[in-house]
Amino acid sequence: MDELLADFLAETREMLEASGGEIVAWEADPSDRSRLDTIFRFVHTVKGNCGFFDFPRLEKLSHAAEDALAQVRSGNREPDSALVSAVLAVIDRIGDMTDAIEAGEDFPEGGEEELIAALSGEMEEAALAAQPSLPCSDKAAEAASTDEARTPRPQALQRSIRLPVELLDEVMKGVSDMVLARNDLARRLREAGEQPTIDGPFDRLSTILGTVRNSITRMRMQRLEHLFTSLPRLVRDLSNELGKQVMVDFEGGDVELDREMVEMVRDPLTHIIRNAIDHGIEPPGERLKAGKREIGMLKFTARQAGNRISLVVSDDGRGIDVDRLAEKAIASGIHSAGEVAEMTERRKQRLLFKPGLSTADEVSSVSGRGVGMDVVRANLERVGGSIDLSSTPGQGTSFHLNLPLTLSIIAALTVEAGKQLYAIPRSYVEEIVFGNAQSVEFARAGERQLVTFRGRRVPCLSLGEVLGLASNGQIEWERQTLVLIRLATGDIIALGVDRVHDHEDVVVKPIAPAIMNTRLYAGTTLLDDGRPMMLLDLPSIALRHGMVSEGRGMIDETEEDRQAQGDSSTVPVMLFAGLDGRRRAVRLDLVRRIDTIAREAIDIEKERAQVVIDGRILPLVGQEHGELPEENCRLLRLSDGECEIAYIVREVQDAAEIDPELARTKGDNSIEGVALVEGKPVPVLDGHSLFAAHRTPGGADMQLSCRLPADNQWAQTILEPLVSAAGYRLVAADEDADVAILLAEEEPKQAAGARNVIRLRSEPEEAGEDETIYRYDRDALLAALKKARLGRAS
Amino acid sequence: MTQLLLMCRIAGRQAAIPATRVKSVIEIEAITPIPATPDFIVGLTALRSQALTVIDCRRALGFERGTVERGTRAAVVEVEGHLYALAVDEAHDVVEASGEPVPVSGGLGAGWQRAALGMVETALGPAVLIDIEKLVQGPLAEAA
Repeated sequence: MDELLADFLAETREMLEASGGEIVAWEADPSDRSRLDTIFRFVHTVKGNCGFFDFPRLEKLSHAAEDALAQVRSGNREPDSALVSAVLAVIDRIGDMTDAIEAGEDFPEGGEEELIAALSGEMEEAALAAQPSLPCSDKAAEAASTDEARTPRPQALQRSIRLPVELLDEVMKGVSDMVLARNDLARRLREAGEQPTIDGPFDRLSTILGTVRNSITRMRMQRLEHLFTSLPRLVRDLSNELGKQVMVDFEGGDVELDREMVEMVRDPLTHIIRNAIDHGIEPPGERLKAGKREIGMLKFTARQAGNRISLVVSDDGRGIDVDRLAEKAIASGIHSAGEVAEMTERRKQRLLFKPGLSTADEVSSVSGRGVGMDVVRANLERVGGSIDLSSTPGQGTSFHLNLPLTLSIIAALTVEAGKQLYAIPRSYVEEIVFGNAQSVEFARAGERQLVTFRGRRVPCLSLGEVLGLASNGQIEWERQTLVLIRLATGDIIALGVDRVHDHEDVVVKPIAPAIMNTRLYAGTTLLDDGRPMMLLDLPSIALRHGMVSEGRGMIDETEEDRQAQGDSSTVPVMLFAGLDGRRRAVRLDLVRRIDTIAREAIDIEKERAQVVIDGRILPLVGQEHGELPEENCRLLRLSDGECEIAYIVREVQDAAEIDPELARTKGDNSIEGVALVEGKPVPVLDGHSLFAAHRTPGGADMQLSCRLPADNQWAQTILEPLVSAAGYRLVAADEDADVAILLAEEEPKQAAGARNVIRLRSEPEEAGEDETIYRYDRDALLAALKKARLGRAS
Repeated sequence: MTQLLLMCRIAGRQAAIPATRVKSVIEIEAITPIPATPDFIVGLTALRSQALTVIDCRRALGFERGTVERGTRAAVVEVEGHLYALAVDEAHDVVEASGEPVPVSGGLGAGWQRAALGMVETALGPAVLIDIEKLVQGPLAEAA
């Protein structure tokens, strides 16, 4: 059922229940004004909602009741018992109709006219009572008829309940704490050694907890539809006010987002809409002259990609007036004319996000009231999101919003300073470089340490110094790891830390006011081993050290550089050493986190290798490269957004940017290509084939079965892993199977009992008239298997 | 109504913390120091997967820093939704107060006066009744 409709029904029912008592009280004392008001509000709300949903009969009824009650309220009519009965009858009818709507049934025709007539006082109470078609004209009849009407579908009624959001938040908090407590317990259990009687139930508990946590997260999710439904009205009002005509189009309303996040984007979105209608979309006359449709178009498109949501708002207006924006920037002293002249078109467009700029010449009542796009951008970045825009003169502007799914868990980078760990929100981290790397060049200006990195001079700040653990003079910058931080203002600073550890998803908790007052920390979180770790408040740290520019300064060069960099579009990768000690790289997007687990958590048997992490069994990859470490194993947890794979490594090294144009390799499926990192070749894992080969197929009952050529060495060693990786269950030669794979030289009768047959030939060239596949043509083979699967599904 | 008190020793003196406010008495495990915080904040410690802010009660009252380390006793209290571990010299029993807290003429001494609700009589003798809200603000709050 439509979610909005469900909301409407739930609300109506809730009000019906709440007003039940009021109605009875009102009946007892029709002159009671406050009861009257409650009932009036109820019918009024129902009437309003009905108009929205197109329930004409319901609307007519509630409208009539509202009219009658309004007369009483204004003193034009005395609330006699006939009126009370009539109103009660109407309210009961509303309840019955609501039930019918919810159950998807048609409510029997007729009856409304009598009810409405009764309301207008044209019918005597006696006549009303005598009407058999009217339910509940007196108390007894009411009880009888409602029982009758409701009993057959009590189950259908309770499909949704309304809960206070605070309760959900409380439950979510409880579950988050439970996860932390579980981690703590897990650590203690590990320390205590293997205890089969406890480990089994504990694993089960962990799994259940994981499921519960997922469901609760889902409970807090809201469809974007909820946000979208409020927009047409806003657009209508604004366009009326401004004498423009605007149509709205939505796509992806079914994308779900954390409820808090929905609220967070409401204001930015409103602001963008205001801007678009006020500045973007032209008045109808101008549009016609420009050869466009009279009515402007405002389009919202939402998509989910992994755990991010992308939301695009585009209009088909005049686009951003780049020249005027540039003039304004010069006029307000943000940039010099020379600087602006050198800017690329896109960079000029991005001036829109600078504080204090607006293209509107006059401040209108709608937009341009001093709250600029810079605030929108800052607000979005505060919650880990980002915003960008693209605009074509005369054709329109698009704003691209990128948002995380949830607020309570943030992706963080853990760094070390003074032998202690701190967390930095991932969203700020631009890049990580080693102080001793070739490409890094230090310089000093006065007392300020600068680092020249890829042609830009970036001020350095040592975390040790910030925290008062070391003084500026003592720091050996060459031994530090530099985390390049991009602040919401666009400023870049290099934060020197002793070491960079993991990427981790952390649950952030607030901290005591006395600690908050230091303005260094934004919160605290617990590490897996139960130790607390502080989350650094980077904007505040940068502000305290005077590293936030006010519109001009280093930011400009860096933004240009970033732009240039963006155009060449390098790809971030993570470098690691495999078990064989060889250096490899994996795309950073794939890496969900880095884990250290005990050797016991790994189970390897023939081709099957698995690892238990957080109570889940993940396929293990990378163990084929060498011996497992004796004790703790480092794992890269790779995710394709749906399932996870653990890749075991000897050591996690560094993050780097690589050119996406890789030197392609032949033959090795597991490698996407070879990249140049610091002048050395580094193979890059092929995420696609990795997940294709190792993603966990569905449960056994979902699996298709496959029969392989019997007693064939090649089939067992080469074909079997491929087929099982494709999600097939292997069955013995005499069983029925969904697919039978035969060798071309085998007799066709071998295919008996199989729904699909794939025949393999041993020569690359096609021979004979039968349809066969070369046995090493992996793609064709997989395609054939897939076809068989789809065949069953249809 | 007489109130229940957690009797403890802070800076060598007998002190009392309202027992209804005390969630538990713990032996502090590992402490994570937090750089750049006022020195009465020793750091964070974890208790049942929750982070507690460890307060050195000696220092919070304006005395020299005490030795707060692994094994030090602390009373866990909640103030405005935040959990604190109040590290004391020693923690004793919970006793009943023999009367209402009363001011002491001439005061309790500089440090004590600020973070105390007064003196309270108990079976174990007189004790300073600690004002938890004031205590967790530390000695600097007055200057600020």
